[in-house]
Amino acid sequence: MPSAFATNMRFKFSILAIFLEVLIIILFGIFVRYENTQPTTKDIFLYPFFQDVHVMIFVGFGFLMTFLKKYGFSSVGINMLIAALGLQWGTLMQGFWHMEAQKINIGIKSMINADFSTATVLISFGAVLGKTSPVQMLIMTILEITIFSCNEHLVVKVLGATDTGASMTIHAFGAYFGLSAARVLYRPGLKEGHKNEESVYHSDMFAMIGTLFLWLFWPSFNSAMAHADLQQRTIINTYFSMAACTLTAFALSSLVEHRGKLDMVHIQNATLAGGVAVGSCADMSIYPLGAMLIGSIAGLISVIGFKFLTPFFFSKLKIHDTCGVHNLHGLPGLLGGLASIIAAMAHVKLGETSPSAPMQAAALGCTIGIALVGGAFAGLVLNLPFLGQPPDENCYNDSVYWEVPAEETRPAGQFGDYGDHRTVNINM
Amino acid sequence: MGSDYPPSLRCGLPGLILFLETAFILIFWFCFSKESQSTSEDLEIYPAFQDVNVLVIFGFGFLLASFKRYGFSSIGFNLLIATLGVQWAVLVEGFLFASSAGKVKIGLHSVLKATISVTAVLISAGALLGKANPIQLIWMAMVEVAAFSTSRWINVRFLKIEEHTSLMHVHIFGTYFGLAVSWWLYHSSLSKRIEKETSNPISDLFSMLGTLFLWMFWPSFNSVLIVDVMEKRNAICNTYYAIAVSAVAAFALSSLSSRNGKIRMIHIHHAALAGGVALGFSAPVIPHPWIAMILGLLASMVAVLGSHCLQTYLNSVLKIHDTCGVHYTFGLPGLLGAIVNVILFIIIKWASLSTLGYLALIEVGSFMLTTAIGLGTGFITGFILTFKLWKTLPASKYFDDQAYWEFPHLAYGF
Repeated sequence: MPSAFATNMRFKFSILAIFLEVLIIILFGIFVRYENTQPTTKDIFLYPFFQDVHVMIFVGFGFLMTFLKKYGFSSVGINMLIAALGLQWGTLMQGFWHMEAQKINIGIKSMINADFSTATVLISFGAVLGKTSPVQMLIMTILEITIFSCNEHLVVKVLGATDTGASMTIHAFGAYFGLSAARVLYRPGLKEGHKNEESVYHSDMFAMIGTLFLWLFWPSFNSAMAHADLQQRTIINTYFSMAACTLTAFALSSLVEHRGKLDMVHIQNATLAGGVAVGSCADMSIYPLGAMLIGSIAGLISVIGFKFLTPFFFSKLKIHDTCGVHNLHGLPGLLGGLASIIAAMAHVKLGETSPSAPMQAAALGCTIGIALVGGAFAGLVLNLPFLGQPPDENCYNDSVYWEVPAEETRPAGQFGDYGDHRTVNINM
Repeated sequence: MGSDYPPSLRCGLPGLILFLETAFILIFWFCFSKESQSTSEDLEIYPAFQDVNVLVIFGFGFLLASFKRYGFSSIGFNLLIATLGVQWAVLVEGFLFASSAGKVKIGLHSVLKATISVTAVLISAGALLGKANPIQLIWMAMVEVAAFSTSRWINVRFLKIEEHTSLMHVHIFGTYFGLAVSWWLYHSSLSKRIEKETSNPISDLFSMLGTLFLWMFWPSFNSVLIVDVMEKRNAICNTYYAIAVSAVAAFALSSLSSRNGKIRMIHIHHAALAGGVALGFSAPVIPHPWIAMILGLLASMVAVLGSHCLQTYLNSVLKIHDTCGVHYTFGLPGLLGAIVNVILFIIIKWASLSTLGYLALIEVGSFMLTTAIGLGTGFITGFILTFKLWKTLPASKYFDDQAYWEFPHLAYGF
């Protein structure tokens, strides 16, 4: 089918993007206004937290996905596109649940929430990375954020569950949504793998930039929405969980690889699992002990997931998860949900009371359920043949959608193969 | 290579830098009192101050690192002139704006204002990227900071422009100063794009890293000087939404403007930032986010259109070579923002003032004056920078790190 793979998106993409943008501006004009109460210093106090989250969304998630050797532009660029569009749509969608007198009031807090809502799409983007077009990503952004904000309202307001760092509502939701969409978008032609689906030395270094920025600012991510009195505890719990998780990830990576070598993929991803897993109960009084326990288990299951589960998913369940989001966000998100259920059963205090275990379990269950159904629906929509998805042989390649500057002619034939050409120089 | 070999900077550069630094230390020693009384309010701006710092040092440095053979110089010289410029700007502003006789006081605010003033130099350096050596850049930084502070002093002192607005003139001032200098440094070989003046995928990604940091911290840049909490909140939110719109529009317009629908990285680098620049003046006074978002959309259009029209028509006719396209990243969106600011000013004050026309004219006059001072001083500076005394670079060595840096590995392909 030639029309299915018409990847020239000059009009499709630009007209859809401009249309969405105009629509959003009109909706903003009708519904959105600034809070007219005098903002307290608390609002401005949250601004540094917002900036940290902002860095995680744009630099952290963007560069984390640059590990593919020919897909750097799309990883960072489309990441920026999704997040920039998503934060506007997220403001509206989350705002519709909290309208006052038919108006959405916004302030610094809604900016943080808007950034959070884009994180779900970016996680799902990781699962389908390399196999979709920007047009598809625009549609997925709109669909996923709409579903996400409904689920979040259900979990937080209707069920009254606690999920400060959003292990369930963002990470698990985004991961299972993405996996479900990836299952529907499965390409039998890529069963044997693809020659561009691998990293080179410098692309792994770029991905490490993303990892480090995510790692550094994760305490801000988990604590930005915490109650002011509990913010310090949230920061400390997240910090220790991340530290414990990093150590476990290094240890396990060395254990499962040949001759005890480290695998960069594990270091890039599994070191962050602790931040994901501790999210749900970061503001409970679990003490550093609990946080470090959760972090260690998260690092453990993340590495094991990369080593054994992802190949199994690919070969048996026909789910091709490009970035391994299931191991970084999915499993640790589940773990976070389970940890919050256990903590609730053990009557761990959150402020004055402790959360209710059945509600936490219900929150976890409905999040996973809605994500799987929503992801499958989104996958079906994205399968429509005129959305400009790349043909199998052009997957994982920037030059389908980007003007890529000419690569230099090098002996190795691949760009940026520093290692190779340094030896060439010495020989010369 | 023979006669084309770049002149050695060994006797010029270290001497100049050490002389300037000694002079700075002596002036700081004699003329500045320790610090003003610090309050907790001063410290409240510290996180935003750090954001501006990252934006200036890291953001601009990596934004300019888009050429495949000029990464060291882009980031290195950016750091050099930024640090030098901040010290000099603190001095100049301290003397120009000194409130009382006696020693000048230094606080976090004066360093912050100096950092923002230095943005003008970095923007001009973007227009000259690859064509000027460090000695020329240092002299340019010295002159430009002094000129910008003087222009700001005139604006604040005589035209009674607000401090925030006067500092947001940096984009316009830096652009037109840089373009005027660039006119003098024009060389006929620049009319064609040479091999060294292109990017490769890695340098483009580095440039994207810089763009992202500029992009993310722009709300801090636009709001850090505002004191009133309400206005500060509005400035942050307006910039946030406007710059998000201009990022999405940059992707859409970039795809629309190319024949095969492919997105060009260079458009993303430039157009995504245009929204933030345009919002600089009016961010605190825009009452509803949708106005800011429309402004972001317009700014993005101006930047993408500008990169098509200016680069092909205007620059070749006027013989200006604008390496990084600062004219349409900072200049035109800045002018757009200034004009919109005047319009908003008229609308907001429509009913309440009888002398509205006069005040609006003052606003128009202030940014016109800034542009004129930028062009004028830039023109003179450019003329001076062409002297052989500064060890100017032969055109064959433009856009080449090897003229200035020791290399860990040989040049092949680098």
